[in-house]
Amino acid sequence: MLRQALGKIGQTLVVLFIVSVATFGLLKLAPGDPVQIMLGSEYSPEAYEQLTIEMGLDRPFLTQYLDWATNFVTGDWGTSFVARTDIFTYGFMEALPVTLTLASFSLAFAILIGVPLGVLSAVKKDTACDAGSAVLALTGTAFPSFLLGILLIWFFGVKLGWFPVMGYVSPWQDFWGGLYHMILPGLTLSTYFIAMITRLTRATLIEVLEQPYIAAARARGEPGWRVIWVHGVRNIAMPLVTILGLQLGTLLQGTVLTETVFNLPGIGQMLTSAVLGREYMVVQAGVMMTAFLFIGVNLLVDLSYPILDPRLRDRR
Amino acid sequence: MTQVDHKKLLAERLSARLGRRAVLKGLGAGIVAASTAGSFPAIARAQQSGHLKIASIKVIDTLDPHFTGFLSAIQVINNIHNGLLKITYDGTEVKFEPDLAETWDLEDDKTHVFKLREGVMFHDGTPCDAEAVKFSLLRVKEGTPASPHAWKLELLSEVEVVDPLTVKLHFSEPYAFLPVALNGSTGRAGTIVSPAAVQKYGADYGRNPVGTGPFKFVSWRENDAIELEANPDYFEPGMPKLERVTFVLMNEASTALAALMSGQIDGMTDCPMQLVDQVAKFPRATLYGEIEGNYTFLGMNCKRGPFTDINLRRAAAWALDRDTLVKQAYFGRAQAAFTPISPPMTGFFDPDIATSGRGQWFDLEKAKSFRAQAAEQGEVEVTYMMAERGPVGTRVAQTIAPMLAQVGIKANLELIEPAAWVKRRNEGDFDLYDFEWVADLDPDEAIYPEFKSDGAWNFCGWVNTEFDDLCKRAQVLLDTAERAKLYHAAEDLLMDEAPIGIMTHMPIYKVFSNKVQGFQYIPADLVNLHTVSLA
Repeated sequence: MLRQALGKIGQTLVVLFIVSVATFGLLKLAPGDPVQIMLGSEYSPEAYEQLTIEMGLDRPFLTQYLDWATNFVTGDWGTSFVARTDIFTYGFMEALPVTLTLASFSLAFAILIGVPLGVLSAVKKDTACDAGSAVLALTGTAFPSFLLGILLIWFFGVKLGWFPVMGYVSPWQDFWGGLYHMILPGLTLSTYFIAMITRLTRATLIEVLEQPYIAAARARGEPGWRVIWVHGVRNIAMPLVTILGLQLGTLLQGTVLTETVFNLPGIGQMLTSAVLGREYMVVQAGVMMTAFLFIGVNLLVDLSYPILDPRLRDRR
Repeated sequence: MTQVDHKKLLAERLSARLGRRAVLKGLGAGIVAASTAGSFPAIARAQQSGHLKIASIKVIDTLDPHFTGFLSAIQVINNIHNGLLKITYDGTEVKFEPDLAETWDLEDDKTHVFKLREGVMFHDGTPCDAEAVKFSLLRVKEGTPASPHAWKLELLSEVEVVDPLTVKLHFSEPYAFLPVALNGSTGRAGTIVSPAAVQKYGADYGRNPVGTGPFKFVSWRENDAIELEANPDYFEPGMPKLERVTFVLMNEASTALAALMSGQIDGMTDCPMQLVDQVAKFPRATLYGEIEGNYTFLGMNCKRGPFTDINLRRAAAWALDRDTLVKQAYFGRAQAAFTPISPPMTGFFDPDIATSGRGQWFDLEKAKSFRAQAAEQGEVEVTYMMAERGPVGTRVAQTIAPMLAQVGIKANLELIEPAAWVKRRNEGDFDLYDFEWVADLDPDEAIYPEFKSDGAWNFCGWVNTEFDDLCKRAQVLLDTAERAKLYHAAEDLLMDEAPIGIMTHMPIYKVFSNKVQGFQYIPADLVNLHTVSLA
């Protein structure tokens, strides 16, 4: 077990190294120049030269990379070129919690809505209920999230005035306020996942319900809800968790658009503005955090298998 | 020019409020009122109430007035700081009036004397005196790191502190552009910052600005909000009226509009043209906006490729149907331009420009006759570089391409990313591009740095020494009528040789909910909130 865990961590480090070199290189290769953006339209060539040197952008690629990497590892993430923010505070302390909150709320919505819908259509297979949820799921997968976001804003925010259309309130400080602000963005981001989970739950549950142990449970006279929710759903947990872990990338990708539409100051917005402004260091920090998150969650998924399936636990 | 004329002219440029006699003698009634208010700040204390939330959609780079290149930053900076001068607008005329100064006078045509208000304090409690003014001006002129606005004070030869409240600026030549250099444009050479704060924060001053303005800086959270709170010791009596101001930083204008309509925010510092119709129909908000000091144009590369041919450039310039452009690219909101000098430049803009025969306009016959004189008579294929940037994105390029086709110019539209666009424009790697120069309040700023031979912003690479000469002569004149003549001549050269096809002057919009009262609109893209209150 320990050896396995160490191996995983080693893998993680290698992946993070590759990710960091790749983003660093790609950003340098992209056309556009932070110095020009920083100086706006009114500047002299001397100011340009001076700023390039000041920002250390005249040094060779490898020196710049090594410099950045040593600092990053020691927790010194640097200061952004233009806005002069401390990147660690900005990215890790401010932006990351917002994205994590948004992602957790969306995941919660997706599971709380997707699983029951899937169960419903599996149990009522080939009925109007099933067809209805299939249509919903298909629409959900096909609907672009930014458009859905704007529609939700106009309907629930502006026309009905039920929910705030933008802004972030930390659920750690004010849980209900946080939830209230997260409902529209959470729904927007989770539509795709609700649809996916519904379909996945339906397909796997139908299969599970045909297994002998379900028949056995029914034969023992257990009530219908217990058969489905305890014996059935428990057995679809593993494929569900696996898919959710793998789809986390899609979810993080979705936060970029959702955060922009709902004006949430998370990693998505941070990355967008940093890429447009060629804030190399900020992009780098954002990518590293995202990569870490992705790898971390998949590590957790791996570690959760023995909990979800007793057969995978170590035998003494 | 005699000294008396000179002073008269300066007086005319100064405020109606202070009046000519007041300016000349420094002792008018207006000044007594101002200085009384200044020496008894207790009287000036206002009851502040209300929390204004206003969306800011464009990028804000830094809150350091001496280093910013963005008007969106100036909108915030102006609420934290004051300048030696300020811009005012009475509905017809844009003027420059003393702000931190009580009087602005000329000793001779190269020496400006500013008498400062008494008792003005920075938010950190240090006094705003002549030394602070000197510190700020020199920080722009020769500080390290170099300010991108240093060129505006190039002619400043000495800053003399006469006494704690009097400062004399000596220039090496008469400098007509001074009011704009100090207080117009993107970035403010004449905005006064706290020397103690600059020493304390160094390069991070832009994240910790300390001025004398109606609001104090509280915090700036990236992609989230900039918070300000009232400065109860502000020197203008009865101001500010608000207790708190939040600039909500947003990337998506339509979300900002939705937030305004649902009452989550009280205004927008900028309302993009495509949303204006929607805002106008919304009963609970008021739209502010007029044609401001700017011009949009089609830029042609005079250094390489087919547009080195002057007749091809002229053909393109005269083939642009400005009315169609206004309708299709600018949502019917802009105004066709004939030359770069724009309507708010009082005294320089010719109200009868449309019938004067000066400048460029749409005339297909004329365009075709120029085309017939071009060296290349077959179809000319060029690259038109465009990006999703500026007030209307790629709409201009898409509207122009068929117009150019009518004179045998096939424009291949190439969509690139904004940062790449800036790089290629600055390196002259294009045939055609469109752009807008904004915030021009003086003709010099509107045309000279943009088109001076080998100038840093002359991306079209047009060279004309006669143009340079006219502008240089105009720079050292203080008589508006005389200056206007020279700038008109310079503009005529520019329009005739057509490195650019001039297109439009644009209105810049702001919107406030009807709860917001007392906003004073100034056609220089400013959002000064000291007079604003919430009902």
